[in-house]
Amino acid sequence: MRRAVSSVLPPEQSAILAKAVRLEWITLVVMTVIIAAVGMAAGQSQAMRTAFVEDSLALLPPIAFLIGVARARKGRSPEHPYGHHRAIAAGHLVSAVALLVFGLMLLYNGLSGLAKGERPPIGAISLFGQTFWSGWLMIGVMTLSAIPPVILGRMKLKLAEQLHDKVLAADADMLKADWQTGLATVVGVTGIGFGLWWADSAAAALVSMSIVKDGFTNVRGAVGALLDRRAAPLESDEPDPLIEKLRDEALRTPWVAEAAVRSRDMGHVFHSEVFVVPVEGARLRIEDLEELHDRCRDADWKAVDTVIVPVDGIPEGLSALDPRSRG
Amino acid sequence: MMVRIIVRVTAALLSLVLVGCAEPAFPRDPDDTLQRASGGTLRVGVSDHPPFTEVADDGSVSGDEVEIIEGYAESIGATVEWRDGAESELVELLDLGQLDVVIGGIASDSPWSKHAAFTRPYTRVVGTDGKAQKMVIAARLGENALLTSLDRYLIEKGLRA
Repeated sequence: MRRAVSSVLPPEQSAILAKAVRLEWITLVVMTVIIAAVGMAAGQSQAMRTAFVEDSLALLPPIAFLIGVARARKGRSPEHPYGHHRAIAAGHLVSAVALLVFGLMLLYNGLSGLAKGERPPIGAISLFGQTFWSGWLMIGVMTLSAIPPVILGRMKLKLAEQLHDKVLAADADMLKADWQTGLATVVGVTGIGFGLWWADSAAAALVSMSIVKDGFTNVRGAVGALLDRRAAPLESDEPDPLIEKLRDEALRTPWVAEAAVRSRDMGHVFHSEVFVVPVEGARLRIEDLEELHDRCRDADWKAVDTVIVPVDGIPEGLSALDPRSRG
Repeated sequence: MMVRIIVRVTAALLSLVLVGCAEPAFPRDPDDTLQRASGGTLRVGVSDHPPFTEVADDGSVSGDEVEIIEGYAESIGATVEWRDGAESELVELLDLGQLDVVIGGIASDSPWSKHAAFTRPYTRVVGTDGKAQKMVIAARLGENALLTSLDRYLIEKGLRA
């Protein structure tokens, strides 16, 4: 029985992580500028002021990611024998709750606006000697502000998959929520211009549905990871392919009769235990165990923290056939 | 894929905007207040609050805000139908749609903002607490053509805080 020496990321993933960190800093700057611009265009409009508060929530996932990554970078120590990868899981929970609250606020404001028959006031504004309806300014600002979240969100989704980073994935969901809300405001304000007082509230309530759903899925995933749920790929409940890979490595070993694997998602990397039942009469040497351990560890970069546990029989609740029987 | 969707949405919005520009009245009022008042009657509530508004015993009104409203009404060819009363009562009538505009030295931070649409501030004064206060005119909530036209009038006359 032996543990992996290092619990930090391999070079390729470190490079992707560095890219992600840079992207999150850019996001923080861009979103702050957007939030300030929306805040200035909001003026007296209650609806736009609410949008301003909601937008501020979009800053939470990047902050959670940057703090999480800084913590996760630290290696293993006697006080933290499993390393600091769970910082990513904590960051995912923060981001997921922010996303859910964003969606719920939007839904509540939209529905209550409709129920109370709120009629948003949008007057005229004078800018650079030109007088125009301030709805145009809102439409312009919201259209422009929808573009960066689309680009940043798509870039992050790609990195999230490569890094198995759920905070990044949640952040991409948040950016999606952001541009959808922006476009909903554009449609809503245009509707108000045509004398449809309910347009803004209705548009907000409509887009909030998918945001609430995304938020709920993320909270469920984050809580599941903290409860040591079986490791799964991003946005999926299926067993992560890594589990089957580790089991295959174990079963390819001549002295292994049966094998079962349990993996939990620590954030970026997994902590896996490979239970092996040796064949009758096998005499195990330390080198045999080490050889199996090294093969398991090298099977995937996420398998850095893998332990081999020789047992008499597969522990209860872990079926040796479980992953394979799923087909 | 996503980019294409955005381009399409933007194109759709642009065409909406163009339609909006071609419209004679954009923004529109949900209840056509401005259309009704132009060349007709503008129903204005006024509560006594010198020097902004003064209501004499015989019911005649005067003050800075009364002058602004009279000037505005003239600009849209409307005659003003005055109704005096307490501020809370007038705002309620405004909320119910029985008045179009309410004046009476209302500040931009007044609690009526949920029941009335405020114009841009037309002047700045020192309030009772010694802090600067921006004075506004209250219009019926959601009647954005009326609100925009009042704002435009204030801007044209150079009235600003």
